[in-house]
Amino acid sequence: MTDVRRRRSRLARHFREFWPYYVMILPGLTFLILIRYVPMAGSIIAFQNFSLRKGIWQSPFVGLENFRKLLAYDDFYRVFRNTLILGGLKMLLVFPVPILLSLLLNELRYPRVKKGIQTVVTIPHFISWVIVGGLTFDVLGAGGILNQARALMGMEMILPMQKSAWFRPVYVFTSIWKESGWGTVVYLAAISGIDPGLYESASIDGASRFQKMTRITLPMILPTAVTLFLINMGSFLDLGFDQVFNLYTPMTYDVADIFDTYVYRSGIQQGKYSFSTAVGLFQSVIGLALVVLFNHLSKKVSEDGGLW
Amino acid sequence: MRGSHSIRESAGDRTFNLIILIFLVLFACLMAVPMIAELAVSFSSKIASQTGTIGLVPVGFTLASWDFMVRNSGLWSSIGISVASTALVVVISLAINAMLAYPLSKKRFAPARFLVLVVVFTMIFKAPTIPYFLALRGYGLYNNFWAMVIPQVISAYNLLVMRSFFQSFPAEIEEAAEIDGCGKFRMFFQIVLPSSKAVIATVGLFYGVGAWNQYATPLMMIQDTALFPLQLKIHQLVNAASGDIAAAVKVSTANYTNDTLGAAAVIFSMIPVLLIYPFVQKYFAKGAMLGSVKG
Repeated sequence: MTDVRRRRSRLARHFREFWPYYVMILPGLTFLILIRYVPMAGSIIAFQNFSLRKGIWQSPFVGLENFRKLLAYDDFYRVFRNTLILGGLKMLLVFPVPILLSLLLNELRYPRVKKGIQTVVTIPHFISWVIVGGLTFDVLGAGGILNQARALMGMEMILPMQKSAWFRPVYVFTSIWKESGWGTVVYLAAISGIDPGLYESASIDGASRFQKMTRITLPMILPTAVTLFLINMGSFLDLGFDQVFNLYTPMTYDVADIFDTYVYRSGIQQGKYSFSTAVGLFQSVIGLALVVLFNHLSKKVSEDGGLW
Repeated sequence: MRGSHSIRESAGDRTFNLIILIFLVLFACLMAVPMIAELAVSFSSKIASQTGTIGLVPVGFTLASWDFMVRNSGLWSSIGISVASTALVVVISLAINAMLAYPLSKKRFAPARFLVLVVVFTMIFKAPTIPYFLALRGYGLYNNFWAMVIPQVISAYNLLVMRSFFQSFPAEIEEAAEIDGCGKFRMFFQIVLPSSKAVIATVGLFYGVGAWNQYATPLMMIQDTALFPLQLKIHQLVNAASGDIAAAVKVSTANYTNDTLGAAAVIFSMIPVLLIYPFVQKYFAKGAMLGSVKG
């Protein structure tokens, strides 16, 4: 009896002290639930035969049928494979570029030129994929700068955006174009934190600039790189709907289609709600496993690594 | 660091300087080429565009495409919609994020730990697209201006950036104020917030850029072309073999083509970003570091 009373009075004290916090939290928490958690709960339609008319409460449950259908469907494996390949290319070819770029920027001895280059390479980060897509189609189009250059060299015209073989290179190059400059910000910050004494004693030992770059700067930013690598591995499947959607054409669907674009076409455009949710849920669950795994690894590598 | 080892540069180091300079300048030029080429196309004539002879400088210089873009194409109303939704997102998101992040930064507030988990979980497990779409529809956001505002106002990442800033706020100041009888609301609004301008600017800019460039949600939610934000409008213009551009290009006296109009639209929509960029550059750098060093 006294125990209950004591607990109740502690709760009362807690609310008397902290009620302003609860008021402050309320709007943000409401939005978080409405925008993030309600859709999560709505994933239940992956186990239904959902129709807009009947709604989530009336639609019949079908168990794992949508998942069985998905596993029997060729498109699913194609999309899965494309996602894996594009994600792999991104980690392999796009991820190292900002590291190299910041090593070089750090060695540049002309502050004005450095500032100018940094500005030019960072701006694309703030441009939407719609615009980057538009630029890409124009640059690689029939009258675009690529074909101008090819004509000058006596080569015939090509249309890369309509050819499957070109999609992956285009994906990689546009990723580099848009994000590599922005990526240097983190590395340059890490470089600015390196103890100047290291460089001084290396100079005394007669190290060249190149040696200092590869033997001091690079190893010193490696922990940052590893942490970022692991965090990126966690979001391996998030290749970005906007990028692929604004770069692909029906002619390149076979290599370009990723989970997000496939779900958009089959779900939103063709109205296969339950099936597309099953595909999306599959992606989310694998994504969850990846994030947890790589966050765990990244925490092992460095103390303040990891997302949480 | 720069001063200390540029005192005596060997011949090898000078070559090193030169190689790096050349490489970086080339890289920057490559990055700039698409934009310069697009600029050239937008100022070129119909014939030059049709024969495909435009390189990095306009051929048959004309303002026809720009004239058309600026006057007729409904770009302005889309810009208005994008500006309005971006402004609303920034204001609303800053208000609710700051108010949510502050209590979460307090160790003494027992539910904070659990609430942080609630926030972080949205980063780990992403709701599939279709239920997200259906939920927004259920809220009545289909073909509704607010579809470009409400889904954008809270992001776990930005929230955690704010929280880590509040965590580093000196505890002594708050303790002193508390002894003077300062309540929790006053503490937050009159003491903590006024000295958090840096993080507010940074996070506000992140939300602003996100809202300005958002694409997927409006693509799913907005079918009514009168409500198109700038990004959808650009997509429509660039890919348009239909609509107002197609009609305009059929006017045989006009000195533009689909390509030159599309180019003008693309450059046109980059202008706001380029104009604002120099002023906000330092905040972005700050934010990138805040976010990446400690999530």
